[in-house]
Parts: sequence; C-alpha cells; structure tokens
Amino acid sequence: MEIFMEYWPFLVPYMVVELVLAITALVHVLRHPHYRFGNKVIWIFVVLLLQIIGPVVYFVFGRGEE
Amino acid sequence: MKNYFTFLKKELLESVRTYKMFILLTVFLLLGIMNPLIAKLTPEIVEMAMPAGMDITVAAPTAMDSWLQFYKNVGQIGVFVIVLVLSGMLSAELSKGTLINLLTKGLSRSAVIFAKYTYMILMWTAGYALSYLVTWGYTVFLFPKDNASNVLLSAFFLWVFGVFLLAVLMLGAVLSGNSYGGLLITGGVFVICMLLNMFPAVHKFNPLTLGSDNVALIQNTVKPGAFFPAVGVAGVIVVLAIAGSVMLFRKKQL
Repeated sequence: MEIFMEYWPFLVPYMVVELVLAITALVHVLRHPHYRFGNKVIWIFVVLLLQIIGPVVYFVFGRGEE
Repeated sequence: MKNYFTFLKKELLESVRTYKMFILLTVFLLLGIMNPLIAKLTPEIVEMAMPAGMDITVAAPTAMDSWLQFYKNVGQIGVFVIVLVLSGMLSAELSKGTLINLLTKGLSRSAVIFAKYTYMILMWTAGYALSYLVTWGYTVFLFPKDNASNVLLSAFFLWVFGVFLLAVLMLGAVLSGNSYGGLLITGGVFVICMLLNMFPAVHKFNPLTLGSDNVALIQNTVKPGAFFPAVGVAGVIVVLAIAGSVMLFRKKQL
C-alpha cells in the first residue's frame, strides 16, 4: 500500500489503460461470436487473464471475419 | 498520386475499424508508462525478493535506468508487436481478393505498396512517439536531477531500426503472399543481424546497432557518429526492399 501511495501517478494510468484494453477485447469477444479458432470461453479467459498479450493476440489472430 | 492518398486513407480507416490502431497505441502507451516505473521500483522489488538476512545494495535508480528500460521494452516488445500486428496487412487483402477489384479499376500496383509502407511507418511513428513522450515525461518527473545526453537522437536511431524492419516485412509479405511468410522472413533477417553482430568488424554497419547501442549513446560512451554507417546501411536496404516489393508486386499473379 505504501508503494501504491507513492507511485499512484504511474499505477493508476497503467491500470486504467490495461483495463480499457481488456474490456474492449472482452466486448468484442462477446459481440462477435465467430473466431478464426478457439471458442468464446477460451477467448474470454485469454483476454482477461493474459495482460496486454491476451487482447493483442485476440485482435491479431483470433478475431473472425465479419 | 491521387490513388496513393485514397488508398492510404483507406488503410488508416481500416486500421481504426479492425482495432489495429487502438491495439498499437495502447500497447505503446503501456510500454511508455512501464519504463520509468520499472526503473524506479527495481530496488524495492529486489529487496522484496531477497530472503531475510541477505543484504545486497542496489544502486539508486537514475534517468539512465529509465531509458535503459525504454530501449529494452520498446526495442523488443514494441518492435515485436508492431511487426505482428502489421504482418497481415497485404495477405488479408490478397486472400480475400478485395484488392483485385481495386486493381482492375485502375489502382496502380506501386501505389498500393507505397501507400501500405507509408501507413506502416505512420503507425510505427505514432506508437513510438507516444511511448517516447510518456517515458520522457515520467522520467523528467521522477529523476529531475539527472541529465542524459543525446536522448532525442538516440530515440531517432531506434525509430530508423523500426522503419528498416517494416521495409523487410513489406518485402517478405510480397514475396510470400501470406502473413506467416512475412513474419518468418522478418524474423530471419533479425536473426541474421544478430549473428552478424558476432563479428566486431560488421558491428558498425549492422542495422541492429541502431536498436542496441542507444543507451551507450545516452551515457556518452559512444559518439553519434558511430551510428551513421548503420543508418546508411539501413537506408539502402529500405530503398532496395521497397523497390523490390514494387517490382515483384507488379509481376505477381493475384
């Protein structure tokens, strides 16, 4: 907690951006249920649990054609 | 010329709609925030990780550590992400066949290559600049007393390295016609550059130097002039790769 109080000007923007990335990917996963491979459950876990890399991998490889 | 701008606009619009722009900008933003933070927190992390009773003194972090993180993270993760995200930019349109309509309606093939390459450079520049500005701002804020020299020049060299790799990716994408081929060729060139670095005589001319010696430049242990041969080599390769892409793409069966 001490560290958090000292470094909040970094940690807060970092967490916000990371959260925005994860939520954008999550919304996309839920609203476009067609994937190049894998299924909805797998992508939800990937997007939420793998920080940064998860959403990137989803948008680059997992996103299906519309 | 009109073709070129129209196609460039289409590329940019596409990158917004496929979330590519969003992904790149957020990743580079996160990298930018991360660099000074990791530099500042390293001593605390080491302290926490050490078993009780063990005493290791870690030097107080400086602005140099922050830049060290910048070149490590942006030079590796950043470059990797941009190559990965942009790797499908030609192959997707080739495999879906959407490019054929445009080409038969009179869009010139060289305009396609030039517009795509411009688009890649724009994406790289935007992400890189964002990451650089954030790291710079936080570094000045956290380490106000430390002076670092040649910060901007040093950043320019890594930017040139990115432009070089993207030209290789472009050529690889045209050569192979699919995204994995482009990635493979770019990765291959990267590995060849790394292997070449084992010979001290080549080091000066190796484009990889542009992304590996930046911290030495900031510390003033290397003079800016030491980078010029590598910039020259990278420039020549970029011109050759793009000219080659245009020539190959004109002859390519779609």
